[in-house]
Amino acid sequence: MSFEAVLAQARAEGRTLLTEVEAKSLLQEAGVPVAATLLARTREEAQAAAEQVGFPVVLKIVSPDIVHKSDVGGVKLNLQDREAVGAAFDEVVANAERAVPGARITGVAVQHMAPQGTEVIVGMTTDPQFGPVLMFGLGGIMVEVLKDVSFRLVPLEEKDAQQMIDEIKGRPVLSGVRGQPPADIEALKRTILKVSEFVQAHPEVKELDLNPVFAYPDGALAVDARMVIAEA
Amino acid sequence: MGVPGHRLDRMFNPKVVAVIGDKGPGYMWLHNNLPLTERGGRLYSVQVDEKEVPGIEALGLQNFKSVLEVPEPIDYALVAVPRQVAPYVLKDLIAAGAGGAGFFTSGFAETGEELGIRLQAQLAEMAREANFNLVGPNCMGLYLPRAGVRFSADAPVTDAGEIGFLSQSGTHGIMFSLVAAANGMYISKCASFGNAVVLDVSDYLEYLMLDDETRVIGMYVEGVKDGRRFFTTLKEACRRKPVVVWKGGQTEAGARATMSHTGSLAAPQAVWDGMMRQCGALTTNNLDETVDVMKMLLRAKPLRGDGMALLAQTGGQSVSITDAFAKAGLQVPRFTDATYALLGEFFNIVGGSYQNPLDMAGTIQGNMETLDRVLRIVEADPNVDGMAMELSAMFAARQWKAKPETLDATIATLAGHIARSEKPFVVILHPAHEAEYVASIQPKFNDAGVPVFPSFERAAAAYRRALEFARTRAG
Repeated sequence: MSFEAVLAQARAEGRTLLTEVEAKSLLQEAGVPVAATLLARTREEAQAAAEQVGFPVVLKIVSPDIVHKSDVGGVKLNLQDREAVGAAFDEVVANAERAVPGARITGVAVQHMAPQGTEVIVGMTTDPQFGPVLMFGLGGIMVEVLKDVSFRLVPLEEKDAQQMIDEIKGRPVLSGVRGQPPADIEALKRTILKVSEFVQAHPEVKELDLNPVFAYPDGALAVDARMVIAEA
Repeated sequence: MGVPGHRLDRMFNPKVVAVIGDKGPGYMWLHNNLPLTERGGRLYSVQVDEKEVPGIEALGLQNFKSVLEVPEPIDYALVAVPRQVAPYVLKDLIAAGAGGAGFFTSGFAETGEELGIRLQAQLAEMAREANFNLVGPNCMGLYLPRAGVRFSADAPVTDAGEIGFLSQSGTHGIMFSLVAAANGMYISKCASFGNAVVLDVSDYLEYLMLDDETRVIGMYVEGVKDGRRFFTTLKEACRRKPVVVWKGGQTEAGARATMSHTGSLAAPQAVWDGMMRQCGALTTNNLDETVDVMKMLLRAKPLRGDGMALLAQTGGQSVSITDAFAKAGLQVPRFTDATYALLGEFFNIVGGSYQNPLDMAGTIQGNMETLDRVLRIVEADPNVDGMAMELSAMFAARQWKAKPETLDATIATLAGHIARSEKPFVVILHPAHEAEYVASIQPKFNDAGVPVFPSFERAAAAYRRALEFARTRAG
C-alpha cells in the first residue's frame, strides 16, 4: 500500500497510531531494513504467512485498542512450525479478548524472528521549535535508564549520522566488547539516513520508533516499528 | 565594509542617527552616540519636551519636535520614548523612510500585562507591514564602534572590530563588548535585540555572516522564534565563519503530547545540543567561556592536535598546569630524544625539569635569550601540536614594576615566538596577589597579540573547545 493509502485508511478509522504491519511496510518501501511482517486475520492465514516470512516466527496481536501487546499476552516468540503458529494464533487472540473485552482485533502480525543482534534504537519525533528530529541510541537499559541518546534535525547529512552514532557514551559497545564482533556502522548510518529521507518526504509522520533495531556485523534490521501520524 | 543591498546594511552602517526621547540630566543616549559626530556622522535629537531642549543644545546638538522635521534621511534611530508614544514614533520613522530603529522603550510583552502585549503587537504589525527594521523593543539597540553608535558610554569607538555579537540580553551584549575590549578584542557590529518582535536572531546572523568586517560571530540566546530558520541560517553561517553560541536559560519544552519513546526522550536541551553540533557551532555556557574561546579563535594559530607542551615556572605549577590540561582531555606527550638532548645541554635540573611539563624558572633566570632558546627547541618537537606557558605574577610582579623593561622584553620574546611559529601558543598569567597590577598590564599583551588567560583551567577549556571546533570543521 502507498503512504497515501495507509494514511487515508488510518484517518478513516480515526487512528493516528499506525499498526506495526502498516508502519513496517511503509518503511520497507522507503528502503529502511525491517524484519518481514505480514498481517494474518485467520489461523490459516497466519500459518501461510509464517511459511512466507520463514521460520522461526513471532506472532503479535494487532488491535487499535491494545498498545502494550506483551502485557496482555499478545506476543508469542520463537514459533518453529505450522502447528505452533496455529496454536499461538488462537492463544494470542483469546488472551487479547480476555484482557481487553470488546477490543477490535484486526488480526495478528506474523514476523520472521530475526537472530539477536546488538540492540539500538532509531527514532523520530517532532520538536515544537525545530520540527522533525532524529534520535539514535543503544537499546535496552542504555536508553531506558541512562538516556544515552543523540539528536539531529532532519534532514541529516552523512556526517550527521556518523556523529550521532559516535557521540553516544555507549559507542564502544558497537565496536565489539567481550569478543563480540563489531556492529556494521555503515548499515546503521544508512538506516538513519533512510529514516531521515522518509520523514522529510512525509511531513505527516509525527513520531517514529524503530525499537529495537538489531545491529549485526553485516547489516542492520528493524524488528519493531511504531509510527504516529498527524491528525487530519 | 558591510553587505551592499542587504536590508539591514543601512542601519548597520549609519551616517545619520536620531536619538528620540532622550532625557536629562544624563542624556544617556545622546552621550552614547556623540562619537558619531567625530566620525563624520550627524547626530540629531528628537524631543517634544521644551524643558529638555537647553540641555540637548548644550551638547552641541540640534533638536527637532518631530522625526519628520529631521533634515536628512535617518539611517538609524534610537527610541527612548514612553511605551504609549512608541507607535506614533514608529509611524513617523516609517513615513520618514528611516533605515531602522532600536527601541530602548520597554514595558511590552515582557511585562505579561494586557496593555504591554497590545502595544507590542501594534508595533510588530506596523513594522511588518512596512517592512521596517525594528530592533527590539526592550533592548539596547545597536553598537557600531566604527560608526560611533554605542549602547554604553564605556564601549570603545574603534575601527579594529572583528567580532559580530548578537544578544537577547542588553546586559550581556554590553558586558561581552566591554570584557572583550579589555582583552584586546573589539566588536565589529553588535545588536541587542530584546523582544525581537520583527527582526530575530536569524536576521542579524544572516547579515553578520556576510559582513566582511566580521571575522567571528558570537551570540547570547535564550530562545529563538523560528527554529527551522535559525537552524538553516546558523548552518550556513558556520560554513562561512566561526560562530560561538552562548545559550542561556532552559529551552522551552513547548506543549506536546507524545506517544513515542523518542518523543519522551527528546529533552529540549538535548535537541538543542544536537543541532549545535549539526550546524558546526561552538557552544559556551557563560561570558568567560565565550571571551576565552573568542581569544583562541582570533589570537592563536589554527589548532591542529592535542599534544601540548606545558611550560611552568616552578615544580608545583608544572603539576597544576598538567592537571588542568589533562582534565580538559588534552595530551602531554614525551618530547623526542633529540629535544631532550638539546634541552639537556643547558637546563638546570637541580630544582628544575625539562620533561614535559617544564619547570624552568631556575634555568631561565630572567634571561630572554634562554627563554627564546627553550621556546625554539620545544616548538620544533614533532610531538608538540601546541604550547601553553605560565608567567608568574607572584614571582615577577615586583621586578616588572621596578623595571618595566623586563616585562616589555618578556612580551617581545613571546610575541616574536608567536610571529614565527605556526603552532598555537597561549600564556597563563594568574593575577595572584597583584590583581590590579596584572589588569593594568593586560593591554601590553593585547597590543602584542599574545593571548593571555587568567587560569590554567580557563586556558585548557578554551583550548579544548577550539580544538574540537577545528576538528569538526576539518570533518
